Amino acid sequence: MPTDTKRVRGPEVSQSPLLFVSKPATALPSHGPRTDGRPRDQVDVRPVFVRCGLVSQAKGSAYIEAGNTKLMSCVYGPRETERKDETDMKCGRLTTDMRFAPFSCPERGSWIQGSQDKDLSLMLHESLQPAVCLHKYPRSQIEVNVMVLENSGSVLAHAVTCASLALADAGIEMYDLVLGCAVRQDGSSYVVDPTYKEENSCSSASSENQGGLTVAFLPSLNQISGLQSDGEMTEETLTAGVRTCIEGCYKIYPVIQQALAKAVRRAAPPPSES
Amino acid sequence: MAAGFKTAEPLEYHRSFLKENCRPDGRDLSEFRATTLNIGSISTADGSALVKVGNTTVICGIKAELANPTVEAPGKGYIVPNVDLPPLCSSRFRPGPPGEQAQAASQFIADVIESSELIHTEDLCIERGKLCWVLYCDIMCLDYDGNLLDACVIALLGALKNTQLPEVTINTETSGPEVNLEKRHGLQIHKHPVGASFCVFDDSILIVDPTAEEECLSTAQLTVVTDEEGRLCSVHKPGGTSLSAEKLQEFICRATARQKEIQKLIDKVIHSVKTAQ
Amino acid sequence: MATVQVSEAEKVYILHGIRDDLRVDGRGCEDYRHTEIETDVVSNTDGSAKVTLGHTAVLVGIKADLGKPKPMLPKEGYLEFFVDCSANATPEFEGRGGEELGTELSNTLYKVFNNKHSVDLKSLCISPGEHCWVLYVDVLLLQCDGNLYDAISIAIKAALFSTKIPKVHISADEEGAKEIELSDDPYDCMRLNVENVPCIVTLCKVGHRHVVDATLQEKACSVASLIISVTQKGTVTCMRKVGGGSLDPESIFEMTEAGKRVGKALHAPLMDLLQQEERLGTKRQKVGFLG
Repeated sequence: MPTDTKRVRGPEVSQSPLLFVSKPATALPSHGPRTDGRPRDQVDVRPVFVRCGLVSQAKGSAYIEAGNTKLMSCVYGPRETERKDETDMKCGRLTTDMRFAPFSCPERGSWIQGSQDKDLSLMLHESLQPAVCLHKYPRSQIEVNVMVLENSGSVLAHAVTCASLALADAGIEMYDLVLGCAVRQDGSSYVVDPTYKEENSCSSASSENQGGLTVAFLPSLNQISGLQSDGEMTEETLTAGVRTCIEGCYKIYPVIQQALAKAVRRAAPPPSES
Repeated sequence: MAAGFKTAEPLEYHRSFLKENCRPDGRDLSEFRATTLNIGSISTADGSALVKVGNTTVICGIKAELANPTVEAPGKGYIVPNVDLPPLCSSRFRPGPPGEQAQAASQFIADVIESSELIHTEDLCIERGKLCWVLYCDIMCLDYDGNLLDACVIALLGALKNTQLPEVTINTETSGPEVNLEKRHGLQIHKHPVGASFCVFDDSILIVDPTAEEECLSTAQLTVVTDEEGRLCSVHKPGGTSLSAEKLQEFICRATARQKEIQKLIDKVIHSVKTAQ
Repeated sequence: MATVQVSEAEKVYILHGIRDDLRVDGRGCEDYRHTEIETDVVSNTDGSAKVTLGHTAVLVGIKADLGKPKPMLPKEGYLEFFVDCSANATPEFEGRGGEELGTELSNTLYKVFNNKHSVDLKSLCISPGEHCWVLYVDVLLLQCDGNLYDAISIAIKAALFSTKIPKVHISADEEGAKEIELSDDPYDCMRLNVENVPCIVTLCKVGHRHVVDATLQEKACSVASLIISVTQKGTVTCMRKVGGGSLDPESIFEMTEAGKRVGKALHAPLMDLLQQEERLGTKRQKVGFLG
């Protein structure tokens, strides 16, 4: 373990108090309504709160809140590309950086970007790239940064939505918005837009057909730009899951459109009647 | 026209305002930007606060973990403050390990905690020589528009006041800790240090609460931290042009006034959070 | 990732071929290239395998090491993946060039094995909360000619099949201190059940169709691919879209269906081959790297 000389260091080892909880955490029920009152097996995404243009320094920014999941995204650029050695200069470059604040999860995270963050950054990149007209920005790069302030599940899905909103807010030319949605299959039932607890609870009863799926979707072009699943699922479940996610994306579409329209109206108020 | 002037000659642009005793954003020379505070918005943290000073936004989250105390100080816990300036908050910061400014800010916050006696590390001890709390105070800037240090100190203070630690007992049989998450208690905050930052323009004009642009153009910067009894906790002046003793005295007076305002704000927010529950 | 430049005319040629289910090297759309597998190629690992798929060559070595179980899963051992992109494979990997691809591959492998049935992790536990086996799966890319994912997954399955973990006994002395004893007999070892280890199938969308086991030329013609890891029962453990383009939902459904079919069919012959090789025992002729 390399020592970190650039930060204030604490003790060598410290453990989360969650490891010493005397009562074992109660397992989530695998049937009946969910802990936040939403029904199972229905496309019921958490209501989202979105705002554009919160960060004064960024070209474009967006903040999204769904249940307790809170994240914000900033877009900088287009500016001159840093990597001059790239052979393909006809197209712009999109860079993505997604990270978790150390206090965003029940267990404290490290400041150093782990492999999970890198993987999420890559997924974010793959989900956004098909939507951005990169050929309009030759020799330049567009940076997308996402910071997770609180992780209460379905982080990647909301990060995709938030980042595409920030890109739009920055005035980057795009073919379409990108919306994200996640489902979690648990035995024969599924939950849409799972919370952190639902994502990480492994009900011991049925281990067959259990897993998570995240889809990034371009609503007006009807294209899937990002897809990722893990766990164990049959092909039929997966197919149904993809359909459910698409339906979930359409549910948040109007909210995102409204937020964007509001941001545009604020930036360029319509000429007054007089 | 004005926009062109601002880009081409930023220094002249600012000077022309300062000549008239005001600033480009309409503030008086000794006026702070509107400061807002939001406490306890992050439920995954044991304590949290979000501070906005004008555009500058800083969030502080506190996570408590259990550790063994050091041999040198068996009756003390740890406070580990870190300030991060992610590339998200401004285009001037690059991804990767913390840069000079972030390192300096972390050290400054650590010094403030140490010198102000904000928290006694003895309070964090659970069992002498065996178990104590580590408070990881992670401060993150979300929008960088100058005066980072003031915002960080307020965020830290707000988050610490909001922190609720779970009850820990030592099991006599296994001699391991047992945690009860339902029973929580707050921290004892002994002092309320608050910072006030100033900028010196052209070696003579003094302005408070600088924006990012003003910070870049100024010739010297100064941060004064005082507590509620008017005691001086820290004076931070990283280089720049020299200052006269009278000026410094003036700053300190302004800082003590600022401390009172901010403490009132924190009390008000905490009170409103309590009544809302 | 190693890439080749393909001219517009070549692209049209490849596209038209695939439309008529005939690829440049004579394969159909769902055919694999010639594949060779050899296990036990590196003597100082606990299990290893080398797989060549067309000109793609990968080597997988598995080392079993004693470790501490993760605090959240005290009754299970775990797997660690590391993918090394050797500069031998392509000059692009020189220096830190292969790092990004390496993390991408290893992160996907974590996802592929992130379920309860792929490997019986409970059998890797020695004493709950204290000791367990950690399997370090090291993948080395020797040559890249497209379809890395599939080649790696086959090699991992073969290497896990050949892995021999020494048996250990726990003895406690009078004071209750536990001690781990390694069995004296080198043949007294534990084998893993690899029945449920999934294989990855990469489907490349080229034109309106999709192909399995794409070469670099074919990959250059495709906008996006879908990787699906399938177990012998046909359960999907990981699915992921890779590449810069997007896919419409209908073609994703088609590709999932094809991926499942192809992946499921991959397992039986692979297991047969591995068992055949095992039966040969010491009579087996070692081919090695230059064979």
